[in-house]
Amino acid sequence: MKMRNLSNLLLGSILIFSLGCTDLEEDIQGDFTEDFDPDNSGVGQSDNVNGSVPADGINAAFSPLLQSSANHNNYFSIQEVSTDEVVITQKGGDWFDGGIWLRMHRHEWTSTHPAFNNAWNNSYEGITEANRLIDAITDVAALAQLRTVRAYYYWRLMDLFGGVKIVTESEDDPDQASRTEVFNFIEAELKAAIPDLGTGRPDYGRVSQGGAYALLTRLYLNAEVYTGTAKWQEAIDAADEVINSGMYSLSPSYADVFAPDNVDNAEHIWVVPFDEATGAGMNLAQMTLHYPSQLTYDLAEQPWNGYSTLEEFYNSYADGDSRKANNFLVGPQTDLNENPILDVAFDPADEDGAPVNYTPAINELEPSGSRQAGARLGKFSFKIGQQNEMDNDYPLFRYGGVLLDKAEAVARRDGNWASSESLMLVNQLRSRASASTLTTIDEDVFLAERGRELFIESLRRNDLIRFGKWGAKWWEKSAHSNANLNLMPIPQEQIDAANGTLNQNPGY
Amino acid sequence: MKRILLITFMLFSCMIIYAQNTISGTILDGESGEGLPGVTIQIKGTTSGASTDFNGSFSLSASADDILVISYVGYVTQEITVGNRTTFDITLQSDSELLEEVVVVGYGTQDKKEITSAVVSLDEESFNIGNINNPSQLLQGKVAGLSVYQKGSDPNSSPTIRLRGISTVGSNTEPLVVIDGVIGASLDNVDPNDIASINVLKDGSAAAIYGSRGSSGVILVTTKQGKRGGAGISATYDSYVAAATVARNQPVMTRSEYIDAGGNDLGSNTDWQDEVTRTGISHVHNIAISGGSENTTYRFSTNFRDIDGILDKSGFDQINARAAIDHYALNDRLNIKFNISLTERESNFSFNEALRYAVLYNPTAPIRLDNGEFFQAILFDNFNPVAILEQNQNLGKRKNLNFNAQFRYDILDYLSVTANYAKQYVNNFNGEFYPESSFFRGLNRGGLARRFTSDTEFTLFESFLTYDKSFDNANLTVTGGYSFQEDTYEDLYVEAGDFPSDIVGFNILETSGDLVTGSASGLKIASNQSPEERIIAFFGRLNATIDKGIYFNASIRREGSTKLGKDNQWGTFPAFGAGIDISQYVITGPFNALKLRAGYGVTGSLPRDAGLSQDLYKYSADGGGTVSFDRAGNEDLKWEEKAETNLGLDFSAGKINGSIDVYNRDINDFILEREVETSEFGTNRRVENAGKLNTQGIEVALNYTSVNTGDFSWTPGIVLSSYKTTLDEFEIDESTRGNLGAPGQNGTNIIRVAVGEEIGQIWGPRFAGVNDDGTPTFADLNGDGVITTDQGSAILPEGDFEQLGSGIPDIELGWTNQMTYKKWDLNMFFRAAFGHSLVNTYRAFYEPIDPGAINSYNRIKSDEQLPDLEVAQFSSLYVEKANFFRLDNVTLGYSFDMSNSSAFSRIRLYFNVQNAFTITGYQGIDPDPVLQDLGTIDNGGVVNDIDEDGRPDNRPDVLAPGIDRRYNYFTARTFTFGVNIGF
Repeated sequence: MKMRNLSNLLLGSILIFSLGCTDLEEDIQGDFTEDFDPDNSGVGQSDNVNGSVPADGINAAFSPLLQSSANHNNYFSIQEVSTDEVVITQKGGDWFDGGIWLRMHRHEWTSTHPAFNNAWNNSYEGITEANRLIDAITDVAALAQLRTVRAYYYWRLMDLFGGVKIVTESEDDPDQASRTEVFNFIEAELKAAIPDLGTGRPDYGRVSQGGAYALLTRLYLNAEVYTGTAKWQEAIDAADEVINSGMYSLSPSYADVFAPDNVDNAEHIWVVPFDEATGAGMNLAQMTLHYPSQLTYDLAEQPWNGYSTLEEFYNSYADGDSRKANNFLVGPQTDLNENPILDVAFDPADEDGAPVNYTPAINELEPSGSRQAGARLGKFSFKIGQQNEMDNDYPLFRYGGVLLDKAEAVARRDGNWASSESLMLVNQLRSRASASTLTTIDEDVFLAERGRELFIESLRRNDLIRFGKWGAKWWEKSAHSNANLNLMPIPQEQIDAANGTLNQNPGY
Repeated sequence: MKRILLITFMLFSCMIIYAQNTISGTILDGESGEGLPGVTIQIKGTTSGASTDFNGSFSLSASADDILVISYVGYVTQEITVGNRTTFDITLQSDSELLEEVVVVGYGTQDKKEITSAVVSLDEESFNIGNINNPSQLLQGKVAGLSVYQKGSDPNSSPTIRLRGISTVGSNTEPLVVIDGVIGASLDNVDPNDIASINVLKDGSAAAIYGSRGSSGVILVTTKQGKRGGAGISATYDSYVAAATVARNQPVMTRSEYIDAGGNDLGSNTDWQDEVTRTGISHVHNIAISGGSENTTYRFSTNFRDIDGILDKSGFDQINARAAIDHYALNDRLNIKFNISLTERESNFSFNEALRYAVLYNPTAPIRLDNGEFFQAILFDNFNPVAILEQNQNLGKRKNLNFNAQFRYDILDYLSVTANYAKQYVNNFNGEFYPESSFFRGLNRGGLARRFTSDTEFTLFESFLTYDKSFDNANLTVTGGYSFQEDTYEDLYVEAGDFPSDIVGFNILETSGDLVTGSASGLKIASNQSPEERIIAFFGRLNATIDKGIYFNASIRREGSTKLGKDNQWGTFPAFGAGIDISQYVITGPFNALKLRAGYGVTGSLPRDAGLSQDLYKYSADGGGTVSFDRAGNEDLKWEEKAETNLGLDFSAGKINGSIDVYNRDINDFILEREVETSEFGTNRRVENAGKLNTQGIEVALNYTSVNTGDFSWTPGIVLSSYKTTLDEFEIDESTRGNLGAPGQNGTNIIRVAVGEEIGQIWGPRFAGVNDDGTPTFADLNGDGVITTDQGSAILPEGDFEQLGSGIPDIELGWTNQMTYKKWDLNMFFRAAFGHSLVNTYRAFYEPIDPGAINSYNRIKSDEQLPDLEVAQFSSLYVEKANFFRLDNVTLGYSFDMSNSSAFSRIRLYFNVQNAFTITGYQGIDPDPVLQDLGTIDNGGVVNDIDEDGRPDNRPDVLAPGIDRRYNYFTARTFTFGVNIGF
């Protein structure tokens, strides 16, 4: 009987339990399900090795720049490998990668190149963060910065891909705008933001009026490419706003502008604040150095032996130009004890043998580019004991660049490359670099000078297009006259995902 | 143990109390009226009894209260109380139905004849034999449509299990495992020695009762139990020792070949593959005791496994204990069962990378320098493989604990209630250490240590009512119930470096210099806890047998999950099945049994991850603390639904019996993370209900019951299966996936996926020859006069690409042969697969002799090696047909005659070889199909995720089969010598 009662009790509890629990609320513990303000505003800052980004709550809109500005297979790679200043040679079985980097260099890219999608995603991630913060924030100065950084992301998209969707609200899906409409949007946004931006030097990793004007300068300088209508005077005016603000000046040392401890260099107008602890994303050491150079700089991880400079570009610097020594790594390489570093897998054809020697001359682009050939990208110099992430801040805009922008706009406005105003600006930069003063200048020399000064600042592609040299022949890249190539293809992944709402650029 | 003693004591005391009389009698056949020889007469609850002689007569001692149990194979067992009688004439009625198997199905059992779906049962005799460490290996090749593939013989990894090919894209691709009624139980916590039988529910109509977790099929494991009514206590001891050897090395250049090809001579001659592998000796011991009284049965077992893999240092030590107690009360109206199982495994994962580097390392390099230090050089992705194994550690501990309690109570004769409560705990604790002296990892890092621990808890509560009643011409079983399942998961990961000494290991993390410098790029700490992932369901099923040969089943399950969008959490999944035993109604010619079955069932599938329907944000220390958008939730995420129709025919004709099943399966709204427009969602990937897959297949099983000539018997059996999976709908009409990877072949996708076409197309240019400069030339496949083979053109009209093979086999075959000769038994099992190809990635990267990089890697040798080809570029050259025919398992056993006075009831010795030989044209290590792709982690690639054991776990891509990656462990040939002893 006792057992019977027990059973009935059991039966009863089963029924109650069965009817009781149908709760399907998903309570996420291991992630954040909503946006929040960090209560501890100092969190994360103390380890920033050089300088501190302000805890102003808007960093989310700026931090995507860390993921695209100086790493492989993103914006930097598109802007550089497609030009005459950087190449990734195929080193036998290494770095072929389906030919995508050879094709990037030879202007034979297709819409499935992953760097296009990565760059596209990166800009829209920044735009998404800016939109989200613009909805949430009321501080006028912060809003102005968000609109400016959003305009910068749209500039990257418009510059690379032409007409894109202008999204200003979260989860909005507007129609694709034309390139001119995006241009107009950027211009209007910057003009609207400038009055509320700070007038002095920007906070670390942030933008003030100088940055907005420098972006406007670049926008106007390329306006003819973007919209068909030149805006030289507007470019000069915007550049003058930067120059006359008195907030920026040339750094006495060219090397200091790009060094690991380059925080708040006088020349910086707007930087991506890379930091080995709290600003991960700069991988130039990995991208350019040969494997055994791990021992030269005491690197924790092996480099990849990818990027180098074309011999012709290297030789465009005169000896004695301090930029030549600064921008490249050439010659025999040693370890910390000054012993030669060895590549035991050296090419039998390499006369240097196992000791690593970076030679400016490169035997061929493919298929068997020599492992040790090519001057390496040393402009953002490497420090000993470098962790995987570098510390050097990367200038999106700097004073030297604005001077050259103005010089070019003046020359183009006046139709005179040798205008004295223009020449004076160019010579300011040359004399800083201990290069000879130019007494006259022409279009080709001007382009070469921009190249020497602005090497790997992600501007060469724009310059070649603006100077009409995009289709020119260089080294193993043949000439073409296909104007469609001035725009990159919209990434195939986006076309596929957009269900017909994104049109591919002509020619792709 | 006390309990057993108590029970034993009670048993014996019963026998002592009553006075004994001698009784005698005759047992007669009910039909012929003749005496039956060999009938067992046993006194219930004891071991004493007798057998009838040639005339059917018997005699034995019994007391008046004893109950005689009279049993004989093929006849209805009778029980008779002795009382005052001393002579008995008993007639036994034959019952052919007693021979019918009872099959465990969801929430109950069914007679095999009533089954209307595709269900396969395997008992112990049918299992694979040898050094088997995972229960799924017991089934490999034995069930038509069940693919169990393990690339390589890594003792620490589990095989991939697929039932009828791809059953889902983005969710649980492996079948549901149910152990003794506990759904979702882990196969890791049941020792193969403890398994009595395994049933596989193949089609949707059978699995639907299990709902979402059964959508990839169901494997029902029944562990061994004590027997009721007892033969007293019995004990068994099973043991084997196994030697695993490398079945096949990757052919590479020898020292002299390498130097001739232009390689630098570093002065030594090292066979690296030989240096990192070994003959792995394993021991396994299983001891079990079981027994049962009238009302209580029990079984206890302990398993010890000391397993060594063929890769140096790899292996594990494991102890597993299992206890099962089953008690009946209230005249059998109440049944209570307890099962407890505990497993502790200490693993040395070693480093599979060492195998890849052993293939690729310079054969002229020494292992060590003259000063005793390892030879190490900076090469891209190539390290001294012996140094990797000797310098570094990669260890882990895992503890599993399962408990379940089940109560069944018969409220009425035809109505019972069952409740089942189960808990399962899994805890992992892993450690890795790399000293500063290790070039592989740790160099310039001051040493590197990693610690990972995870804790998983699963709770199951289920209750159901069963109504079972026979009517005049029908039998009706109705089941209805409730199910509650909850999973929780937590983990902790720490990575630190900069240690004061190479001898630190991973247990003195506090000495890490990272704690002082606070370098955020060095010190890594991560912790995670999952939400409580619940599945709640109500289910019902009706089984009806009408007349004597018409069977009908129907079930419905209403199921809710926390993982889906708020408005789509609940789904309803119906199933129907019907069968008719034709031989009961018409004369079926040569067929003495012929049953036709048809079933239709819908099951749901859930995504693997939680939290997909909610927006997530992330925090990083970037720039002073940054909160940013992490992932766009999909609040519309709904059940992936699999609808399957199965038609089956079971037949037997004379000595042949078998079954044929054909099925059609539609997977609608399959769940997949896919590219979305970044401008709209802020992130470029989102989990969506993305498309539709269709699979059609056929499965045939044939058995021939015994070629019997006196002492010799031979029972062959064959299973065959074939299926095709087609992508019916997808957002993207045509795309490629399956990146080949570094060195040099990143961005090289080699599998094509297209709407309206089959899954598994290996895609690339067709090799045509070699140019003067050593580069490959390809065929102009589209005839436009231009050869376009860049990746960007892979699916464009101008591209010269074609299908180079299929990653999925056309036919899979298993062929068993059980032979006996006197006391000898021989079991040979052959396994084969035809029609699939594999991308031999070792060849695709390292076969061409590139003079610029000859010193970076040793070279692969094959029949297709072209002396002039210098550049590795993917093409048809590296896609190989991988048809194979393999003697997978062969066992020769001998059972000794036991004298009646022996202390042993059984002694059998056996010798077994696994993977005895393989006939194949494939030049890689193993021609087994590769059903899914783990991506480029084989070489410098990024591990996106870790699984619950802390092992690297890139989400497998089931849409990219056919790539034989370089991370695979080598395949072993294993020789096992074993003994089975019964007491």
